[in-house]
Amino acid sequence: MEHAVVRRRGAAVVLLALLAIAPAALSQDLAEFEKRLMKFTLDNGLTFLVLERHEAPVVSFHTYADVGAVDEVKGITGMAHIFEHMAFKGTQTIGTKDYQAEAAVMARMDDLFLALKQEKRKGDLTDPEKLKKLQEQFDQAGQEAQKYIVHDEYEEALTQQGARGFNAYTSEDATQYIVGLPSNKLELWMMLEGDRFAHPVLREFYKEKDVIMEERRMMENQPTGRLYEEFQGIAYLAHPYGEGVIGHMSDLQTLTKPEAEAFFKAHYSPSNLTIAIVGDVDPAEVKRLAQKYFAGIPSGPKPEPVETEEPAQRGERRVTIEDAAQPVVLIGYHQPNVNHADYPALEVISQIVGVGRTSRLYKDLVKDKKIAVSANARADSSKYPSLFVFFAVPAKGHTNQECEQAVHTQIEKLKTEPVAPEELTKAKTRSRASLIRQLDSNSGLAAELTFYEVVTGDWRNLFQQLDKINQVTAADVQRVAQTYFTTKNRTVGCIETAAGASR
Amino acid sequence: MKNTMTAKIALVLISVAVLAGPGFGKATQSVSRASRPRSEGGTPATQNAQEPARAYQQLKYPKLADLQVPAVQRLTLPNGMQLFVLEDPELPLVHVSALIRTGSIYEPADKIGLADLTGTVMRTGGTTTKTGDQIDEQLEQIAASVETYIGDSSGGASMSVLKEDVDTGLAILAEVLMHPAFRQDKIDLAKISARSAIARRNDVPGRIAMREYAKLIYGADSVYARQAEYATIDSITRDDLVAFHRRYFHPNHTMLAVWGDFQASQIIAKIKEAFKDWPKAEVELPPVPKVTYEFRPTVNAVRKDDMNQGIIRLGHLGCLMNDPDYHALMVMNQILGGGFTSRLFKNVRSRQGLAYSVGGAYGADYDHPGLFALSCQTKLKSTVHATEAILAEVKKMTQEQVTDEELALAKDSYLNSFVFNFASKGQIINRLMTYAYYGYPADFLQKTKENVEKVTKADVLRVGKAHLRPDKMQILVVGRPDELDKPLSTLGEVKTIDVTIPAPKP
Repeated sequence: MEHAVVRRRGAAVVLLALLAIAPAALSQDLAEFEKRLMKFTLDNGLTFLVLERHEAPVVSFHTYADVGAVDEVKGITGMAHIFEHMAFKGTQTIGTKDYQAEAAVMARMDDLFLALKQEKRKGDLTDPEKLKKLQEQFDQAGQEAQKYIVHDEYEEALTQQGARGFNAYTSEDATQYIVGLPSNKLELWMMLEGDRFAHPVLREFYKEKDVIMEERRMMENQPTGRLYEEFQGIAYLAHPYGEGVIGHMSDLQTLTKPEAEAFFKAHYSPSNLTIAIVGDVDPAEVKRLAQKYFAGIPSGPKPEPVETEEPAQRGERRVTIEDAAQPVVLIGYHQPNVNHADYPALEVISQIVGVGRTSRLYKDLVKDKKIAVSANARADSSKYPSLFVFFAVPAKGHTNQECEQAVHTQIEKLKTEPVAPEELTKAKTRSRASLIRQLDSNSGLAAELTFYEVVTGDWRNLFQQLDKINQVTAADVQRVAQTYFTTKNRTVGCIETAAGASR
Repeated sequence: MKNTMTAKIALVLISVAVLAGPGFGKATQSVSRASRPRSEGGTPATQNAQEPARAYQQLKYPKLADLQVPAVQRLTLPNGMQLFVLEDPELPLVHVSALIRTGSIYEPADKIGLADLTGTVMRTGGTTTKTGDQIDEQLEQIAASVETYIGDSSGGASMSVLKEDVDTGLAILAEVLMHPAFRQDKIDLAKISARSAIARRNDVPGRIAMREYAKLIYGADSVYARQAEYATIDSITRDDLVAFHRRYFHPNHTMLAVWGDFQASQIIAKIKEAFKDWPKAEVELPPVPKVTYEFRPTVNAVRKDDMNQGIIRLGHLGCLMNDPDYHALMVMNQILGGGFTSRLFKNVRSRQGLAYSVGGAYGADYDHPGLFALSCQTKLKSTVHATEAILAEVKKMTQEQVTDEELALAKDSYLNSFVFNFASKGQIINRLMTYAYYGYPADFLQKTKENVEKVTKADVLRVGKAHLRPDKMQILVVGRPDELDKPLSTLGEVKTIDVTIPAPKP
């Protein structure tokens, strides 16, 4: 869900031909790319994309797990993200002095946590003495587990060898693990990443949940974080995109380690992982080491996709939060997913309406009417149908209502008048240039390759998406606007400044 | 146009928030602990006899390919403009970035915001031959950009074009720098934006903390901390913008870096041509008040009633990047508050589960002392406890030597990741130009590396003692001071900071 924005960076390779605006040039770029890219899949189903780029003796690694918050069900929200955090806690051999002994203590902690939960559930009938005793036992087991832990070993092993950009992130659609290393450390990454997804140990699980609850509070302390959670929550009736990535506080509090382990087992089989390696590497060596360190991970079935479909909306939905913060308005319309035939036209619409100083929203709301300081729009390149969102930040002294009205007027214009040929050309030129600008970093390109491979089924769509955008006509834009930007398909979320809000 | 990401803010969650301060923030993440493999370039880590060697510690790494650092060509044009040139044929693009000797440090106290407005309207207000809107159209049709800005102690411009459009891009860039027209409509627009930013400045609590902390350390009126108000924005006129530009924008006060897909001789000729009518001028820069600082312990609170966490920021003044202790402080920072494996991250986040975001650095800046700022965001009921935990780590840095393992990890991490400083041509040329702009030697980075290699445990303790003042920390908490785990006064006498935004004149 995050790519449409984050993915405008990217990386790699000599692509002189891309410059030529003639569509024919595209196939040349792709051909050039194919020469440098090696794709292979291990017998257990794990796919690797390896792209040589020898600009500097460094390499970027990107592990894309095709699992995100969308794969959670009620009661375990936040789980995909929790697992992401746990994937830094080590394995059966890294991060421990004695795994067997440690595992026994951790199992005891799981039992005690369940007992605590059961006692707390009794509400008024909870026995405070029993609760206290259980808590003491739980804390004691936690301290005992500490004896076996070699703290932060996983992080340090990579950090010491020169890791850059070592991190991970979770979205509705995916969980992604990233790191850059000097290129001579290829084997270190292979060994550690292979072990990470073969034998992960969720040590310090209950402590890390505290960290994640603080992460949730940080989101709650941002006005746009508060608004987006409400907005997302009412936009979906059925589809899990309505639940935020971070998870509900009560789920975070009650989730157990065995539940996280079951989630891992269901969603982290090699068939659900795709890895891109971009930089100063020899693909044959990559293949040899991949075989050595990843082939032993047992294969498992590819998890079933989410089958719940968002039903057609029957009427506009709206949420207003009264807040200490200044006004902001979000206007969302259900849109199809990234692989739908209408998606390229939605991308073109977001370019024409919502990106840059010459976009319609900026010209109208910011430059001419001076009712907003920022106004944009964007299509969401998501795995399942999601939301096309318009976003406006009113100028001081102006209101959400004025901005919303102006956005609606612009949307009506899209539906009633064909866009000008110059606007269409400009959108296409900018899409092409934006692709070129994505090709200048190993890490960006690794992200792009995994996204297109997993979500669209072929990394080549990184280039072929431009063919589709080039084919979009003014009539397509008009038809797509009429199809999706309807009143009953709309969800609006606002922050309104509460009277007397403490500043 | 800044907020494309905002709508998605709740959707992507990242594992670590990096909280390094300025200056040192540019250094790598790194850190500590026992029995790590020895790296070929770094310091041997001692093997802890207690633990069996891990498989990854037995790996033999091939020698890293030699770093081919491309030479940046430097020259001065007849009008005094300094050029930095680097060919980069990988992608069909041409990029420019420029630095101009100006900054908000030169704006008068009753016109705070003048430099920022000038930097914005130079581009949006068009030139003597084209309106800003015409420039927008022209650039966006060719998917190009030309932008200008004025920061604290420098002005800047950038250009990025497909290589076939280099003439168009350079012509616009030159016009914008030499002949901005400062049309009134775009001044009005920039003022609307500035006033709206003032109205919104207390919406995001992290920004309140950063702003108020800088005011605590530098002083509310300091050029490095002061903020625009409705009154200062209202007092700025078009004449002020014209005069500010006229005073500071001259070729002999401009450095320009160009990199991309071109032949050096050709691009130099094009740049000469584009800027040939820009005459040299003598400029007398106004004096900039020196940063003066009196070490003192303070405790400060900003009330924000809608929060369920406290944002903590604490420390005191930092140093300059040319301080002789810079490299040892950099190593100290890695151990104290840098990245995933620092003491703060381990002890406050991983071991105690108190915060998602914790860290910081003893900061250094090029031309004025940076901020020593450590920060943490934690639930209200652990705010004072977390503050005490951070204070204890600072104190420890001044009392005990770091361990061999911590030192080795911090140094190895810096040295092994050094190669990433050369991962892109833009990084290489901009670093060189920035060093030149602030009067630092061209080999500053290389020298820093050599010095980091020599840092010992004794050095880290020495600079900890010399630079950190655990008894004179200034502490700021944004949140609900009455709802904390312990009274904030446990830490000292509390001063409440009123962040009410002064109303505009009717």
